[in-house]
Amino acid sequence: MEPDRSLESAEHSAQIPQVVEHFFRHETGRLHGALTRLLGPENLSLVEDVAQGALLQAMRAWSIGGIPPNPSAWITRVAMNQARDLLRHRQMSHSKETNIITHFEQTHSGASPAVDESHEIRDDALRLMFVCCHPQLSIDAQVVLALKVLCGFSSAEIARAFLSSEAAIDKQLTRTKQRIRESGIGFEIPEGAELNTRIDGVLAALYLLFNEGYKASHGESLLREELCREAIRLTSLLVGHPVGRTPRSHALLALMYLTAARFPSRLNEHGDLLRLHEQDRSKWDQTLIGCGLHQLVEAAQGSEVSEYHLQAGIAACHCTAADYGSTDWARILSHYDALNRIKPSPIVALNRAVAVGNVRGPQAGLDAIARIPQRDRLESHYLLHAVMGELHSQMNNHQAAAECFREALRLAQVGPEQLYLTRMLERSGDADFPPLAARVRASKALN
Amino acid sequence: METNTSPYLLIFRETSPDVYKAMSPDERQRLLEKWNNWYDGLAAEGKVQHGHPLEPKVRIVSGTRGERVVDGPFAETTEVIGGYFLLTVSSFEEATEIAKNCPSLYLGLKVEVRAIAASCPELGVKGRPSAKDLSAA
Repeated sequence: MEPDRSLESAEHSAQIPQVVEHFFRHETGRLHGALTRLLGPENLSLVEDVAQGALLQAMRAWSIGGIPPNPSAWITRVAMNQARDLLRHRQMSHSKETNIITHFEQTHSGASPAVDESHEIRDDALRLMFVCCHPQLSIDAQVVLALKVLCGFSSAEIARAFLSSEAAIDKQLTRTKQRIRESGIGFEIPEGAELNTRIDGVLAALYLLFNEGYKASHGESLLREELCREAIRLTSLLVGHPVGRTPRSHALLALMYLTAARFPSRLNEHGDLLRLHEQDRSKWDQTLIGCGLHQLVEAAQGSEVSEYHLQAGIAACHCTAADYGSTDWARILSHYDALNRIKPSPIVALNRAVAVGNVRGPQAGLDAIARIPQRDRLESHYLLHAVMGELHSQMNNHQAAAECFREALRLAQVGPEQLYLTRMLERSGDADFPPLAARVRASKALN
Repeated sequence: METNTSPYLLIFRETSPDVYKAMSPDERQRLLEKWNNWYDGLAAEGKVQHGHPLEPKVRIVSGTRGERVVDGPFAETTEVIGGYFLLTVSSFEEATEIAKNCPSLYLGLKVEVRAIAASCPELGVKGRPSAKDLSAA
């Protein structure tokens, strides 16, 4: 193999090729696409094994020999060779798999590599996305499978992000793959009337993936930001394909960019959660805001207004306001009204109540909360109590505010959220709680 | 190049295939980056001549007339040599200290340090191919 360190390469160490961040991980997703085309979605475990083997070999060889000039091609060649060896071996024991190897050989004997290669990679990625987000699979299973197969996370990493165990994640993945086999899910880009609903399925899974990363309710925060970045990468892939380039795909991507733009200001130096009006807006990522607004323009082509359009519109209102005071809350409220019509949920209603509070005052906000249908579904959510506490404290009802924050604190699951709520409790003059702030911070330091 | 240096081999023996298999792509990449930084640092100091990985395919020839040819390696039972670095340093101790910085030690990899015997700083003995020829081959 070509990677080596001759005397020359040692003398020109500045020219030694490097690999980009997350190269191995993204390469895993790409290999899975290419290998699934050859082996079929029913052989997903085999696909993963082959890709793993190729990456393992790359890591070992490149550790000692340095990175070759075209690392991606190197890995692809190794993976294809391993797939071929494996299929030959299997062919001897299972003659029914002959058709796979025949297909494989036809695809790869004398294939001219340069022809449409980038299109092929792009199509494979999209096909694999449609496999992972197939309606036959539960939405949670879709997200976990996407993280494993499309994003190249290990089961251990997925388990850490979801506060689950590696064994539980592996078990779920096994079940999901079994379901793919049993349902005969194909490796194809849906056509005709099916395409629209299938794209909606992909968007829903990508939205959930992003949301899993965004909400700080559990897991490691660094890993969680990675989930958001992956959701953006996959949505960009979708938007980059003629088939996936729909107004609502653009809208979802806009929403992700505009939300991710605010990440750098979400926590202070202690890792405490900051509210929107406390955030340093100069830390917001203007490049991402620009990307988001651009996607929003793209999304506006056509007459469609999806839930993603409305949510992106709300995010854009925040991102484009010079400061908290000049936020266009009336516009945000009208977006929430529309969102509540096309996709009503208690959480949407709660967020709408925050907008109401900003437009018509805290009492109107509390009234709006009181009128939320199925409010009981929110009772166990810390956010309901945190919002109510905030509205009460705006009205100087310190005792009511303290009660709400205490309840919220009881329900919050993760360090930053607990710290934020403890801070709010301290502010509302509750004497019982200051020691807890120290306790939470100490326990966080230990982790 | 200093004249009081001599060549040493660092031989990397993999002992833990399962550990490597369990690593995530991100973890593998971080390890890879450590290795490359390690090598680049040594190269910048002029302490390493070259390094090569070895293909995993192994054949062991034995028997008095070489009649026994066995395919290997047996990854589960045998230490597999993953590759080597050729150092040019001033002492066995210095080579040993360098070996201690190998990024995969924590995974169970072992580094064997060997001085290359009967050689001059320019490597090799008359009649043998030089390192440069080897790497070009």
